[in-house]
Amino acid sequence: MNQLGYLFAANAFVWAGIFLYVFRLMKRNRELKKDLELLKETFNKTIEK
Amino acid sequence: MNSEDKTPPDGGGYGLFWFNCIALAAAISAIFIYVPTEKTEGIIQRIMYYHVPSAWVAFLAFFVVFICSILFLWKKEREWDIYAHASAEVGIVFCSLVLITGPIWAKPIWGAWWVWDARLTSTLILWLIYVAYLMLRIQTEQDSMRARYAAVVGIVGFLDIPVIHFSVLWWRTFHPSPKVISQEGLGKGMDPSMLATLLISLSAFTLLYFLLMGQRVRIEKMKDEIDRLKKER
Repeated sequence: MNQLGYLFAANAFVWAGIFLYVFRLMKRNRELKKDLELLKETFNKTIEK
Repeated sequence: MNSEDKTPPDGGGYGLFWFNCIALAAAISAIFIYVPTEKTEGIIQRIMYYHVPSAWVAFLAFFVVFICSILFLWKKEREWDIYAHASAEVGIVFCSLVLITGPIWAKPIWGAWWVWDARLTSTLILWLIYVAYLMLRIQTEQDSMRARYAAVVGIVGFLDIPVIHFSVLWWRTFHPSPKVISQEGLGKGMDPSMLATLLISLSAFTLLYFLLMGQRVRIEKMKDEIDRLKKER
């Protein structure tokens, strides 16, 4: 592999690593937000009854 | 009567996100357009503009773990444990990038992906310590014990960072000696355009750290809120 290939590989790893982590955080964030809203809704309904 | 709304605010917000996008775009432009190619190493040297900022952010993240762990043990407030946990995770991401970009640079320059050199080995140890930190958090079931054990590991683990920094001065190593903080003075060992590119990249990665930290802290706070609501039910 020539120098350009190594530079490309390093770039690919850095950005893939960062984007994977960002997407993982976004996914977790979305899931928890949904769970929290659902739980609050259930909680409020229980209290109203 | 409604349940009290304790949803944590957006970690960082869109302002920081867009500012970070601009900073990262500036860093990429500087790395590939602005900075001249280094004479001896060639274009492969450009990896340094990712490698050094990743190492800096990893050290910053583990320093935050260290400070927050001390504050947790002292004040026993959950808030500090959340910050330490979030920072350790972000730190591991950047420390992994250091351990990936380093060997990619080393292969064409040294002729080997990895050598058991003092700096490389101590960095690998740092990565293992904080992976153990996260594993400990997963494995320990009791909340109070988990936070306390993790804080101790977070403090002890940080002691490896001065060893990493001074390893190139204390021992004969393959790793290049510091160029930014050199004996000639701050930034004196580098070409001004290379120093400027490195500083742009360092700033962009530091901003990225704060953005990721904000999101990670938000996740942890939402988990706490879910647990609180489940207990109240």
